Amino acid sequence: MKNNKKWFIVTEAALAVMVLVLVFCMMWEKNKESSHRVSVIVQDSDDSRWTAFRYGLKMAAMDHEIEIFVVSTGDMVTPEEEESLIKQEIAHGADAVIVQPVPGDEMEEKLNKIEKQIPIMLVEHAVSTEQDNLGFPVTEADNYEMGKVLAGELVNDYNGNVRGKTLGFISEAAGTEAVMKRKKGFEDFLKDMGAEIRWSFCGPGQKPDKDLLGKQPKVDFVIALDDGSLKMAGEYSAANNLHGALVYGIGNSTEAVYYLDTGAVECLVVPDEFSVGYQSLTETAKCLQNYFYMMEDHTVSHTVLRREELFSEKNQKILFTMSQ
Amino acid sequence: MKKLNPRGMQSTIMFVFTVITISLMLVLGIVMYIRFSISSRQETIQSTKKLMEQTGESLENYLVSMRQISDAVYYNVIKENDFSSKDNSIQQGMNLLYEANKTSLRSIAIYNGNGSLIVAEPVAAQKEDPDVTKQDWYMQAKEQMENMHFSTPHIQNLFNDDSRRYYWVISLSRMVEITDQGVSASGVLLVDMDYSSISRMMQQINESDNGQYYYLCDSNGEIIYHMRQIQISNGISSESSIAAAKYKDGVYDEVFEGKRRKIIVNTISYTGWKLVGVIPYSSFTHGMFNVRYFIVILMLLMAMMLVVVNRIVSVRISRPILKLNDSVKEYEAGEKPEIYIGGPLEIRHLGHSIQRSYEQIETLMQEIVLEQNERRKSELDALQSQINPHFLYNALDSITWMIEGGKNDEAVFMVTELAKLFRISLSRGRTIISVKDELQHAKSYMNIQKIRYKNAFSITFDADPEIYDYCTVKLVLQPILENAINYGINAMDDCGEITVTGRMNDGNIILSVTDNGVGMSEDEVSLILTDSSRIQKHGSGVGLVNVNNRIQILFGKEYGLTVLSEPDEGTTVSICIPAVRCTDENRKVLEKGYILSKEEVSDGDIQDKQNEE
Repeated sequence: MKNNKKWFIVTEAALAVMVLVLVFCMMWEKNKESSHRVSVIVQDSDDSRWTAFRYGLKMAAMDHEIEIFVVSTGDMVTPEEEESLIKQEIAHGADAVIVQPVPGDEMEEKLNKIEKQIPIMLVEHAVSTEQDNLGFPVTEADNYEMGKVLAGELVNDYNGNVRGKTLGFISEAAGTEAVMKRKKGFEDFLKDMGAEIRWSFCGPGQKPDKDLLGKQPKVDFVIALDDGSLKMAGEYSAANNLHGALVYGIGNSTEAVYYLDTGAVECLVVPDEFSVGYQSLTETAKCLQNYFYMMEDHTVSHTVLRREELFSEKNQKILFTMSQ
Repeated sequence: MKKLNPRGMQSTIMFVFTVITISLMLVLGIVMYIRFSISSRQETIQSTKKLMEQTGESLENYLVSMRQISDAVYYNVIKENDFSSKDNSIQQGMNLLYEANKTSLRSIAIYNGNGSLIVAEPVAAQKEDPDVTKQDWYMQAKEQMENMHFSTPHIQNLFNDDSRRYYWVISLSRMVEITDQGVSASGVLLVDMDYSSISRMMQQINESDNGQYYYLCDSNGEIIYHMRQIQISNGISSESSIAAAKYKDGVYDEVFEGKRRKIIVNTISYTGWKLVGVIPYSSFTHGMFNVRYFIVILMLLMAMMLVVVNRIVSVRISRPILKLNDSVKEYEAGEKPEIYIGGPLEIRHLGHSIQRSYEQIETLMQEIVLEQNERRKSELDALQSQINPHFLYNALDSITWMIEGGKNDEAVFMVTELAKLFRISLSRGRTIISVKDELQHAKSYMNIQKIRYKNAFSITFDADPEIYDYCTVKLVLQPILENAINYGINAMDDCGEITVTGRMNDGNIILSVTDNGVGMSEDEVSLILTDSSRIQKHGSGVGLVNVNNRIQILFGKEYGLTVLSEPDEGTTVSICIPAVRCTDENRKVLEKGYILSKEEVSDGDIQDKQNEE
């Protein structure tokens, strides 16, 4: 009799435990179904250069069932503003953030604090220019290599002889790690080749003065190190305001491609921004879906675009991502 | 092999009920789930087919409208006008058509046989050197002049755009006959459809989040629209579009990258494009996951409830039987509880029956014990009562004779011996007396008999004093002596000799009466202890059979009388009894009818037995 009672209690307890486990599983599944939210904070997020990046984010969000929110930002964001934006997004329920860090060493400290709350993935470039990336995963193109490739194209156009040629650098976000690496890559390639760098618009957080570009001393080549500066240089070149200087640059917008298509730009190196968006969100999704996953750096490819082969099948796919 | 213990009734009932109910529930649940999932799957396939038919129709309508535009441009504008005319009617005609359809059109253009632009709408600056002759749409139109050709999506590379954007278009091209200054020549009419129109249509049906999706490919499997177009081209994802392009319209099962899925193919008229719907098998169960959990939880809750109900039912059914069983067990364990009578009619009846049976057994047992005791007692009483009157009559007759004969001293001696005899005979009602008393009783009896028989025989008592303190059944010697006098030496003339001996032999006491009388034949000896129906000719009527019985009743079957006799030689009757010390306790034990075993024939053992009782 007592044995029966014991078995009855054990059976009921076992069934009750199973019910509780299933209810827990059901709730867990339900919570899992409600997708994670990732906020994306990049400078001037509405600009056309982010089109491919946003498309990449969208595709990754679809593949990994993540909700993304691209924060609308202005032209330039200060470290404080960026920190405030990130905190605001955390307050609004962001489970992770993808950030293009603002140039400046203090940003690293701020991101370190935020990283304790939620995962952070950096895009485009690392925080610090002086040290290697300290603990923050970055998805970016190989900026140094792009600089070198651009220089290589220029040198190839002149059969390896650029001695006596003059050039000027132009960049929009001059203080960023990306621009600095690109410039360094370019300079390293041209080292000892006899080309002279006449001028450059460099300065952290400063935009190039449009009026000043036309007033710069005449050079043979204008090297645009980012999309914004390439568009400006292209515009000047299209208007014949560059004193015959040829524009070589790195960009990732349809405008940049357009200037290449119309001959205002000689050569364009395009980072795979679709992959930057896709890979950064994929990595973030892995981190959100697996608590113990450590996010890794990703280096995406880049493509050299020339006017002659602009509409080849391969290049059309690049244009497709930029045109979304 | 391990022997299975029999299960309890309650567990058996509960186990059987639970197994049956849970099995039924499982079968029901599984059947319902399968039925539900099959119908859900069919419904999904049907709704997908329907959606694809509608989308296919929309796409066809769109493409038909594009063809109609192409036809209208060709037949109403190009064929009706000469390109050399200055009334600008061609441009106007094209403008009208473009304006009417500009939401889905990117441009309309006419190129001559050399690939030079003749006219375009909307009016836009042509790129510096687009070289249309190398573009697919131009080459296709040239190759197959009689057909209209739909290209795959591509970037329009014809006109400069002020907004510095690039547009994805699907080109509809055909060979046309143009008239310039009255001369007929071939040209190519290009209608660039905005890819976003098709893209929007496809996006609208690709909203599902259950893994189901649709894509569009041409007859070679080249993708026109796919929600993961770039992932596929980058190698991140893949699609079986080449295989799907070979399928005819219908529903197919496919295993792609190790996953089973349903493929629904719908061909778009004229273009040969395939609208493909992909339903992974996992999507059939998408959303049913919660249903599965719900069903399992429901089944578990039902199982819990059923276990409770089963327990209640099994307890209710088995409780009366278990109670009855418990009360019987207690009874068997030696307690005397009331047998449980309760529960349903049958159990009550069973309880009543068992109780009655036990009561009857109890009564019968008591009756048996009582009867046995009574029987023993009555036997003893009867035996003793048989002794007394006969002997008393003879003794008193002798005393009377002595008194009449003036033999007062002898009469006094006789009376004294008689008194001793009766004192021992009575022994305060005891059945067991000491050997000493028994011998004294025999002496008194023989003294009385000697007087009565005028010393016609001699008597000798030879007993070891060590046996005096042992127990014996009273009045066992007297009948033997009586027999010895009556049958042994009565016929002899003054030479009869009777010897009474008492010895301890191997833990037993042997009392023997030996006479030198007429003796008996072997047949008579064999009958003397077995035939109790024989009628005594002389004496008290108490035969040796009765003496033997009395000894065996009190001491057991292994004790009793032994008779040895030879005709004309004499007879020896021996009494064998256990050597039991004659104490009050031992006497009481023996008198209660407790028969001793050989091992118990010691003072201590009997004491223990008495204490236990």
